[in-house]
Amino acid sequence: MNYKMTTGVVALTAGLMASGAYAEIKVGFIGSLSSDTGLSTLRGAEIAIEELNAAGGVMGQQITMVSADTGEDVTEGIKAYEYLAETEEVDFIISGSIDDVSLGWLPRMQEYQIPTLDTWTSYIGIIDMVVEDPETMAPYFMNIASDEALATLYINFGADVLKAQMGFESVVILAEDTAFGGAITGLVTEALAPVAGIEVKEIITYDINTNDFAPIFAKAQASGADFIYQVSSVNSQVVSSQYVKLQVPMAMTGVNVAALGLEYWEDTGGAGGGISTLSPVPSVGFELDPASQAFVDTYQAKYSSRPKIPHFNGFNAYHGLKQAMAAATEAGGFDDVKAWSAAMLKQDLKLEKDGQLWLRYGFWDYDTVEPVTGRTYPHNALFDLEAPYDFAQPSMVVIQWKEDGKVGVVYPPEYATTDFTLPSWVPAK
Amino acid sequence: MGLRWYHFALWGAFIVGLALLPELVSKGTLRTIIFANYLAIFAISWDVLSGRTGYISFGHPFLIGIGAYTTAILTKRFDVPVEISIPVAVVVTMIGGLIVLLPALRVRGSYFAMITLAFMELMYQLVQVIRPDLTGGTRGMSGLPTLTRGAVNGFYLSAFLMVSVALSMWLLMRTRLGTALSAIGMNEESVRGSGLSATKLKMVAFLLSAAIAGLGGAFYVHYLGTIAPRALFEINFAFTIIVAALIGGASTIVGPVIGAFFLTLLLEYLRPVLPGAERYLIYGGVALLLYMYQPRGIYEIIQQGLARVRRSS
Repeated sequence: MNYKMTTGVVALTAGLMASGAYAEIKVGFIGSLSSDTGLSTLRGAEIAIEELNAAGGVMGQQITMVSADTGEDVTEGIKAYEYLAETEEVDFIISGSIDDVSLGWLPRMQEYQIPTLDTWTSYIGIIDMVVEDPETMAPYFMNIASDEALATLYINFGADVLKAQMGFESVVILAEDTAFGGAITGLVTEALAPVAGIEVKEIITYDINTNDFAPIFAKAQASGADFIYQVSSVNSQVVSSQYVKLQVPMAMTGVNVAALGLEYWEDTGGAGGGISTLSPVPSVGFELDPASQAFVDTYQAKYSSRPKIPHFNGFNAYHGLKQAMAAATEAGGFDDVKAWSAAMLKQDLKLEKDGQLWLRYGFWDYDTVEPVTGRTYPHNALFDLEAPYDFAQPSMVVIQWKEDGKVGVVYPPEYATTDFTLPSWVPAK
Repeated sequence: MGLRWYHFALWGAFIVGLALLPELVSKGTLRTIIFANYLAIFAISWDVLSGRTGYISFGHPFLIGIGAYTTAILTKRFDVPVEISIPVAVVVTMIGGLIVLLPALRVRGSYFAMITLAFMELMYQLVQVIRPDLTGGTRGMSGLPTLTRGAVNGFYLSAFLMVSVALSMWLLMRTRLGTALSAIGMNEESVRGSGLSATKLKMVAFLLSAAIAGLGGAFYVHYLGTIAPRALFEINFAFTIIVAALIGGASTIVGPVIGAFFLTLLLEYLRPVLPGAERYLIYGGVALLLYMYQPRGIYEIIQQGLARVRRSS
């Protein structure tokens, strides 16, 4: 009896497998499994997959996902990509990698030709690679505005708010010693003076393991600049909390990655007020359209650990994965990479709020020239650098944490929920 | 040299085993073994310098990085073919080895270790600020020419390199030169007292180590196709090399190969079970236990096991 039953189960299983009923689409996640950034992408992708599977899957197949941790290390990133490609043989890869990790595995992507969506990396050099080598870069898409687009709009904030409203005329840049820090510093210093009319007095570079910022802030004050522009992606809560605790009598704005998450207030022990930072959208304090709000509600019901709400790349992963699957449906799967790439390029999700375009998830094609920068951004997320932002959302917003722990968008005005203010201990110019 | 027939038999079996590996394991495993091969080369390089002479280097990535960056810059920025850039990289790294030698003429022990660490840190800073148009600055360089495509070709190239380096060093260390280098590690004063030039011997060790590091670093970067300062001049990278040499068995040449394979495979085989950072905890725990059990490494454990088998038979 047992023998017959066993034989029957084996035969049934074999039959099901032969008929393709067990076929699946395999998604690989590459990124850090221990950072808010990595977890945002991972969870955004998980929710998208659950929703797609609940709706019957894609092309009649269920979607599964495997993870490969990079630990935010370049070499581990290469190993992780190889693992997903050769051991797990995934159909599609979604990445929450940081810039240098993505640069590390890019040659592998070019070799394996696996459709890949980057949700956090914003390095314009990768988009330049798409321009120069569209053939081998066909599987690559980046659904966050490139750092060049982020910096371009941030310069407008400098001109409209820092210069026009606050009267600031000079800046000292306080940048961490990382690839990200170097790139943003370069973009900002090149544009602040000619476009916003703000003189760069000095650039102070600090090690990411710095614990005592008192001498660095003293040096910044000695520069005689009107305000500090910080560029910090690693341990950013340290620099901002010490700025508050030391009551540095200069305004400080810039890029502070820790301030992009809702945990920032806890991480700084409540000493994070007054800090403002550039943020890709949607940011904390950003008003959400109904579809994005529904995603956040699902997220919060499903996950109790940090990050409490996904960072911008969580939204990118959620919408981007669904777009990748829609492109696969149109292209008949992921195997024909060129067909998938062409279908992905046509994806266009417009999310409205109060009858107005609020967020747009789509990609620049090979030929369209962005009017402000005068260049093309193939395979990069659509963005808009000019008000009234009726083509797409702005490439970035500036958010500010207030001294009472509240956070809101201060720029551009069309998306602002609060005004930019100086911390209470900083004298107005 | 004290060579026996079974030495050749074991090396032969090892080479045949490697040659057959692509038929026996998946491509994913081959990719893992490629990293193990390169780690083995770096660990041998460290072993020639530190395992033998006792001059513990904490900054070995300094030498590997010189080789890697030299060929990367030559091929990427000046379109120099790899046939030329790699030998040039080896020579430049050997010059770097002489730079590391200078402090070794005056200090040893923890002082020397700290100086080598400083060399690595210095290099990390220099490649980012000195001519970033050449080095790629903090982001490094991507799109470097690769020598092979696919797991099998990459495996054969790395295995050939690793076996060539391991076998030649193993033979060299069985000569009187190898004995003299080991003597420096035991008692440098005695070496001087016996009429040998400790300075010349150290120079040989540093140059050999640098040549291997440069060769490994150059081929490694053309395997990865990318180079970044954060990936090369990292204390974790330096420790991985040292741990591979120590856990396998320092001052044995074969030990570092065993250690590199053991650590790389352990870490990768834990990935499906523990995809997150937990696997590093297991990895560290296993390495610590092994080292506590037998400080002379896995090579010694194997030798003791074989001796027991021989006695019982």
